[in-house]
Amino acid sequence: MRPERRLRSALPYQILTFVVFVAAWELFVHLRGGLLIPRFTETVEATVKLLGSAELWQAMYVSNQALVLGFLVAVVVGVPTGIMLGRYRLLERFADVYLNILLVTPMAAIIPLLVMSVGFGLASRVILVTIFSIVMVVVNSRAGVRQVDPSLIEMARSFGAGEREIWTRILLPGALPAIMTGIRLGLGRAVTGMVIVELLMVSTALGGLILEYRGLFKAPQLYGTIVIILAEALLLISVARWGERKLTRNRSVR
Amino acid sequence: MIEIRGLSKSFVGQDGATVDALRGVDLDVGDNEFVTVLGPSGCGKTTLLKAIAGLAPWNEGDIVIDGAPVRGPGSDRAVVFQNFALLPWATVLDNVAFGLKMRGVARAEREERARSLIAMVGLSGFEAKRPGELSGGMQQRVGIARALAVQPRVLLMDEPFGAVDEQTRRLLQEELLSIWEEHRLTVVFITHSMEEAVLLGDRVVLMSARPGRIAEIVPVSQKRPRSPDVGAAERAEITGYLWNRLREMHQERR
Amino acid sequence: MRRLPAGLISLAAGAVAWELIGCVADVPFFPPLTTVLVRLAAMVAGGQIVASLADSLVNLVIGFVISLALGLVTGVAMGRYRKVEAALGIYVYALLTAPSLVFAPIFFSLLGEGRGSIIAVVVMYAVFVIVINTASATQGVPAHLVEMARSYGASEAQVLLRVMLPAAAPMIMAGVRLGVGRAVTGMINGEMFIAVVGLGRIVTQAGGRFDGASVLAVLVVIIVVALGAVALVQAVDRRITRWVPQTSRGDQ
Repeated sequence: MRPERRLRSALPYQILTFVVFVAAWELFVHLRGGLLIPRFTETVEATVKLLGSAELWQAMYVSNQALVLGFLVAVVVGVPTGIMLGRYRLLERFADVYLNILLVTPMAAIIPLLVMSVGFGLASRVILVTIFSIVMVVVNSRAGVRQVDPSLIEMARSFGAGEREIWTRILLPGALPAIMTGIRLGLGRAVTGMVIVELLMVSTALGGLILEYRGLFKAPQLYGTIVIILAEALLLISVARWGERKLTRNRSVR
Repeated sequence: MIEIRGLSKSFVGQDGATVDALRGVDLDVGDNEFVTVLGPSGCGKTTLLKAIAGLAPWNEGDIVIDGAPVRGPGSDRAVVFQNFALLPWATVLDNVAFGLKMRGVARAEREERARSLIAMVGLSGFEAKRPGELSGGMQQRVGIARALAVQPRVLLMDEPFGAVDEQTRRLLQEELLSIWEEHRLTVVFITHSMEEAVLLGDRVVLMSARPGRIAEIVPVSQKRPRSPDVGAAERAEITGYLWNRLREMHQERR
Repeated sequence: MRRLPAGLISLAAGAVAWELIGCVADVPFFPPLTTVLVRLAAMVAGGQIVASLADSLVNLVIGFVISLALGLVTGVAMGRYRKVEAALGIYVYALLTAPSLVFAPIFFSLLGEGRGSIIAVVVMYAVFVIVINTASATQGVPAHLVEMARSYGASEAQVLLRVMLPAAAPMIMAGVRLGVGRAVTGMINGEMFIAVVGLGRIVTQAGGRFDGASVLAVLVVIIVVALGAVALVQAVDRRITRWVPQTSRGDQ
């Protein structure tokens, strides 16, 4: 008979996993070694050094421009689009097919077309990030509007509310949680888009660093850069999740 | 057949206080005896049944079945569950044969036994159906067939007719009585219905809550085979007595 | 008004628009639909597409099978054993949301410039969504079914195989469906980064030549592969979850 004991905290197990991971890493390097695989300690050292270098922050600044601008465009264009699709069923029925295709298509394959048409500058990078991000924003905003209780709209109409009031008093507040979710997911996708840009499109900044370190066999710095990019991604997503929770705390009717 | 001595189980509730689910329960169940267990919610009757079944641990005391102490589930006991607990993706035949399959019985033999039991509970022709296609009463018949298939010495029934409507319940009671006449097993039957407890049982174990303990054991000396139409007056007297005791318990709680 | 499928009308309208804009614009990066289709036919006949498609599919299948195996085992373990979930939970969630391609340079340095790296990228893309869905599905298995099985003497292995897995199947299939989509993306992205074999490589090469028609032709093939893979999984899904009652089936 196995009683189910409640785990007091997950932290010790999480730390255990991390320790096992590092140990396996060190063991692997010990056995295989070589220029291409740095040790854990080397990587940590390189990461710290990178964080203090102007080179890295310069690269971060340039690369993140595409992220910020692309994400903003995705939100500014995507939220209204999604809301329209949610409200007007006819529009949605025609757009649905394309949204489904977009959700499954690897956006990276569009890169050559973008480069051919818009070139290698900031514009094409921003466009790619926007494309990555916007589908999530649209789909979630649409879902948010669709799940608003129709009887509330009916109720508002019965009290004489016009289209504008329905929007501002019923639809937008009701759809807000889902819209925030879409924005959060969109941010995650935008970060992915930025990484794709750096690795596959035009290696201006962070991507350039990665290529350089790879070419020069500077493995610790290569891994360090990757760790930093990962950290930024996770940080942004955590912030987005926190922001979403904060803004939609008292809004959902349970 | 079953000897329970000083059975106690307590746990820490959600508010941090210790709850005595069972305290000092002593009970003897004889060979081929049909015992019903009755009591208000929280009196520990389900805990008691699960302890006998070997599905839940206890803190103090012993449970001995035919000389052997209970250490876990065993092939000498089979359980019939209140919400049927049938595998929704399996056919009736596979559901009835489930216990046999767990014990490693060969396919031909277990299917043959399953079929004969399906016939006994009156579900011939439904072997290939899935639980989703059956009514509640039929599903519980499958549950009973499954329990009988493993040829247990003790049949443990946890409010088996609680989840069906009254008409179905009466039919199932009659069927259970006739099945029991044919295959005399030891049965421990939990119910919250006084009429059911008196109709089915040789003895009614009346339990009270906080702490869970046996308040009284009321014998039902009516002759077998029993039937709902015969001897109703005699049973009504005992039922009335039981209800008085239960009402006292409810009032004490206020 | 006759109920015509809106999707088809929409696609047809889109095709017409593509053709018109392509002809009018006359730019290398937006050739008309007919040009693309002609180029596609030529590439198929010339054998380039077929060879690369085969390469890509091999990468996809191997990567997906590995993701499936790893994902199911890990997911079931996380769903069934609280300690495993505690240990792995945050890492799985983190890796799920992180941009998976960022690991490509690492795989490149570990596994070299070949198929192995691409397959590793595919796994990185697909496995975590399968783990999460499987874990969630396993946790959601009704406890009374597990209890019933134990009461009839089922061993731990039997409980996992005969009760938890079938009960969790519908939700697991949802994760598998998402995983397939991500696997295709991983396949393409991996092939574009490690431009050795496959459709991703042709896309990059065509782009380098400013050959818009070829890029779009391959893009069409990629979309067909993606949709086909998802449709295949949906068919398997329907077969496995035949027993789920209609009302509770979510068709997303």
